[in-house]
Amino acid sequence: MIISYNWLKEFVDCDLPPNDLADLLTMLGLEVEGMTGVGAGFDSVVVALVEEKAQHPNADKLSLCKVNDGVEIHNVVCGAQNFSVGDRVALARLGSVLPGEFKIKKSKIRGEESCGMLCSLKELGLAEESAGIMILDTPRPLGTPLFDALGLKDTIFEIGLTPNRADCLSVIGVAREVAAKLGVAIRYPGHELLENGPPIATVAGVTVEDSDLCPRYAARYLSGCTVAPSPAWLVSRLEAVGMRSINNVVDVTNYVLMEYGHPLHAFDFHRLAGGKIVVRRAGEGELFKTLDGQERPLLTSDLTIRDGDRSVALAGIMGGENSEISPDTTDILLESAWFDPSAVRRSSKRLGLHTESSHRFERGADIGIVTRALDRAASLMAELAGGVVAKGILDVYPKSVHPLQVPVRLARINAVLGTALTASQVVAIFTRLQFDVREGEPGFMTVTVPTFRVDIRREIDLIEEVARLHGFNAIAGTMPTARVFSDRPPHRQTVEKSLRDLLTAHGFSEVVNFSFFGSDLLDKLLLSPDDLRRQTIRLLNPLSDDLAVMRTSLLPGLLQSAERNLSRRSLNLRLFELRRVYHPVPGEELAHEPLHLGAILTGRRHPEGWNHDSAAIDFFDLKGVLENLFADLRVKGVTYDNGTLESFYHPGKACTLSAGGEAIGSCGELHPDVLGNFLIEQPVYYVELNFEKLLTKCGAAIAIVPPSRYPDTFRDIALLIDADLPAATVLETIRGQKIKELEGVELFDLYTGQGIPDGKKSIAVRVRYRSPDRTLTDDEVTPLHGRIIDNLVKKLAITVR
Amino acid sequence: MKDQLEALSSAMFAHLGSATSEKELQELKVRYLGKKGELTAVMKCLATLPPEERPTAGQAINRVKERFEEEFTTRLTSVKQAEKLRRLASERIDVTLPGRRTAVGTRHPVTMVMEEVSEIFAGLGFQVAEGPEIELDFYNFEALNFPKDHPARDMQDTFFLEGERLLRTHTSPVQVRTMLRHAPPVRIIAPGTVYRCDSDATHSPMFHQIEGLMVDKGITFGDLKGILTIFLNQYFGKGIGMRLRPSYFPFTEPSAEVDIACVICKGKGCRVCKNSGWLEILGAGMVDPEVFRHVGYDADAVTGFAFGMGIERLAMLKYGINDMRFLFENDIRFLSQF
Repeated sequence: MIISYNWLKEFVDCDLPPNDLADLLTMLGLEVEGMTGVGAGFDSVVVALVEEKAQHPNADKLSLCKVNDGVEIHNVVCGAQNFSVGDRVALARLGSVLPGEFKIKKSKIRGEESCGMLCSLKELGLAEESAGIMILDTPRPLGTPLFDALGLKDTIFEIGLTPNRADCLSVIGVAREVAAKLGVAIRYPGHELLENGPPIATVAGVTVEDSDLCPRYAARYLSGCTVAPSPAWLVSRLEAVGMRSINNVVDVTNYVLMEYGHPLHAFDFHRLAGGKIVVRRAGEGELFKTLDGQERPLLTSDLTIRDGDRSVALAGIMGGENSEISPDTTDILLESAWFDPSAVRRSSKRLGLHTESSHRFERGADIGIVTRALDRAASLMAELAGGVVAKGILDVYPKSVHPLQVPVRLARINAVLGTALTASQVVAIFTRLQFDVREGEPGFMTVTVPTFRVDIRREIDLIEEVARLHGFNAIAGTMPTARVFSDRPPHRQTVEKSLRDLLTAHGFSEVVNFSFFGSDLLDKLLLSPDDLRRQTIRLLNPLSDDLAVMRTSLLPGLLQSAERNLSRRSLNLRLFELRRVYHPVPGEELAHEPLHLGAILTGRRHPEGWNHDSAAIDFFDLKGVLENLFADLRVKGVTYDNGTLESFYHPGKACTLSAGGEAIGSCGELHPDVLGNFLIEQPVYYVELNFEKLLTKCGAAIAIVPPSRYPDTFRDIALLIDADLPAATVLETIRGQKIKELEGVELFDLYTGQGIPDGKKSIAVRVRYRSPDRTLTDDEVTPLHGRIIDNLVKKLAITVR
Repeated sequence: MKDQLEALSSAMFAHLGSATSEKELQELKVRYLGKKGELTAVMKCLATLPPEERPTAGQAINRVKERFEEEFTTRLTSVKQAEKLRRLASERIDVTLPGRRTAVGTRHPVTMVMEEVSEIFAGLGFQVAEGPEIELDFYNFEALNFPKDHPARDMQDTFFLEGERLLRTHTSPVQVRTMLRHAPPVRIIAPGTVYRCDSDATHSPMFHQIEGLMVDKGITFGDLKGILTIFLNQYFGKGIGMRLRPSYFPFTEPSAEVDIACVICKGKGCRVCKNSGWLEILGAGMVDPEVFRHVGYDADAVTGFAFGMGIERLAMLKYGINDMRFLFENDIRFLSQF
């Protein structure tokens, strides 16, 4: 909403500096988002008197003038012809800067010195075209800044109105707020309306068929109008608030729209078939050309204004081309109505046609002001277009709307706000807002809400008004008295935090990718056509194709993050993302949104440095992190199984992760084809865990084993085994031996190559024995160790070297 | 014999005095006192002396031997000490060389803010709550008093999904879900991801909010101010200026926008605060009775307040991030600074 301070002052006495007014409005909830000073910076363009005018010696079309600005006489060379000695003109003194960064400097024009410039309307940015310089008709003393002299000095406020404040979509509406806050009276515009025409009912008729969508329709009739350009004051008023002048008739409707906030429409009466108006829903399959020249398909839910034959306006939104005011219009039917907000909004939204009119109707115009706005417009139109106004109004208003009466309790006001306001304070506030208050039992009152406040229907709405006018900052902050309840953070939040702690401690930085991506990314992962992750939830109005479906995997986002970093020469990356993925659930309203953990690592194992080797990351770096993670979260029974594999992994360097027999994720080196699809040229390792499943597996109870005070004994075994026999099987076979002195088994060497037959590998295992209650002797350990070796040979058919 | 002993003795002590290493000293010991040592050899000659001279000569030899051993020990200690000092001196390192670091990662700033804000409110007895991001119209709008065909819906550009669903435009649906599940009192803080179809330098189609809700008997607008004052002072530092101004949200009434004194210019006016001296930081208000009606609370028995704030804005102000896009580019050079 754009408001001109000068216009505002017509309705309320306010001499606050513009900055203070802006603060006042903002603190009332009408947030001033911008301010522009009109005429500021033009103070050196002043009223001056032409005292002499002579022919330029070297140029036929130029004259030499002596111009008095009240201080001194200036020599000015001027090219215009439309003035003579004794005229008052606009002089731009030296140093003025005119629109277009045009600086006025002392200059020589064809050999004659010129100190300043006599300005035209166009040069001052006051008109798009102008002939000759401005001749001023002002009694103000010479030297008065021009904008002061013309009364054009103004401040324009841009107010970001919240959608509830339909009443402030007008100068009068904002003036009412200022008046309420300052405690002064508001002056409504007066108008003198002469009804010299015939009774309106003899000329025109109005029928409202669909009064559910149009509870009130009023019209006036004017004859003998002359459509012409509007006077300057009207043009500048409209321009000040960002509206373009069209002609005197249309400008009047717009003027009243801005003044009262009530949308009006003027029809060319001769183009209304049968001279009548019918308000009803559009016909099936109807096409209607609005006055912006667009053909629009209507639905039977759209309300139209019709004449005897056809639609002539889209109710509350825009008029039709077929009945618009044209230069030869003489007789006018002026509409002032009230349309159902939801209906206007539905039609306007569907047609993508948002207008000053629809904006107000959908927020709720004032049904009580329909005829006042109509009279105001008719009187202005008669004055400016010379029309004769017919007697009376056609006002179809079957169910008169009365101002709402809302009961309010003083105790409730103070209970909600935490204040100790008295009844008289509250009454004073309501009165300033032009609400009538009837006091009942002590502490109870009934407030009559004017029809312009469509946002106030309930007690709480009135409480807000009290708070607003009393001032939010006048209410003291207090601490609530609350009942105690357990507020220990839920398990999942603790686990989430632990995961982040652990991953950051292992060098991983957290990334955040958008939750939506392009479905082509799933192809890049080489997912099979029936992969569940291809069942995505689609956005109906995505910003672009690559933000069109809800992600079902964290991998594409992480790979895109990796690629971006790699292309910026950050070559050693450890990134993780702990966020949701989204799966449709057939038959369910909501989606399944499990939290997933995805992490990638690539580049060197250690940070670059003089004292680190430059080895590259491999699978076991990733696995080591996972082992720490599972230990930290106390997840028991984790297995790494490379049986069934995801399509996006290297077939020999990846596995499924399970805990307690249930798959919880996967990890491994990514397939070079997948990396290629993301333009990545170095090996990347990836893990994705389903956090929801992980959550059910973690937090195993701690059962400690008391550390023994006796020394350990260890024996090493070197084994030759089949290359594809998992090392874990060997370790599990040893551990499975239920020997209570067996303290631990470590694999400490792995070797293939020279000396080892093809298809075999050599591993070395250290088995540690210890007793809790005595020092073990060789004689005790030897048979135990023998049992372990026998068992290995028997069960796994391996060779001890 | 006596002369021979004297000559030997002076040679022995001379050598001992000039030995500079442990090895040299040990060699001297062997040379003189070893089985085939020179003093041992003299000792063996005792047998060739007349018996009456033997005691005197024997004592003389023993005295030499004892003195040698004594001096040997002293000498050995000082040589060892000198050797140790030499070794320590030679082991000097350049302590200004960079240390051997392991990689350390960072939390995303959005997470940091969420954790910090949640922690502050946890201290005030608020519990963290969550809700779905793919929401139904009822929870995102209807129950929050955004009627269908109401202009208030224009305040939030919505992404719609197949099947009458939408991406939540704010974290407020968590309020509704929580109140539908629990009877009052309620004290929750709900951090989460939200979406609006809007993308430019200051808007991201995905961003984050934290929602707060407190409902109990006798909760007032003054209490809302009190809680927010505590929060803003803890988050931005003690004594931060704050003001509330009237605003509109369908689900609260009275509704307020909360501004803090600009953290950049301290309220004097700068580009960031558009010369107003104030920064809009959160929206808040008293829970609208219409919301209570939707969740089955008795609006005459309890009152409550709700507030919501943008995490990105909090992060940008706190860490001096001047471009929102940094937050979602995931450039490690940006992330590693947190």
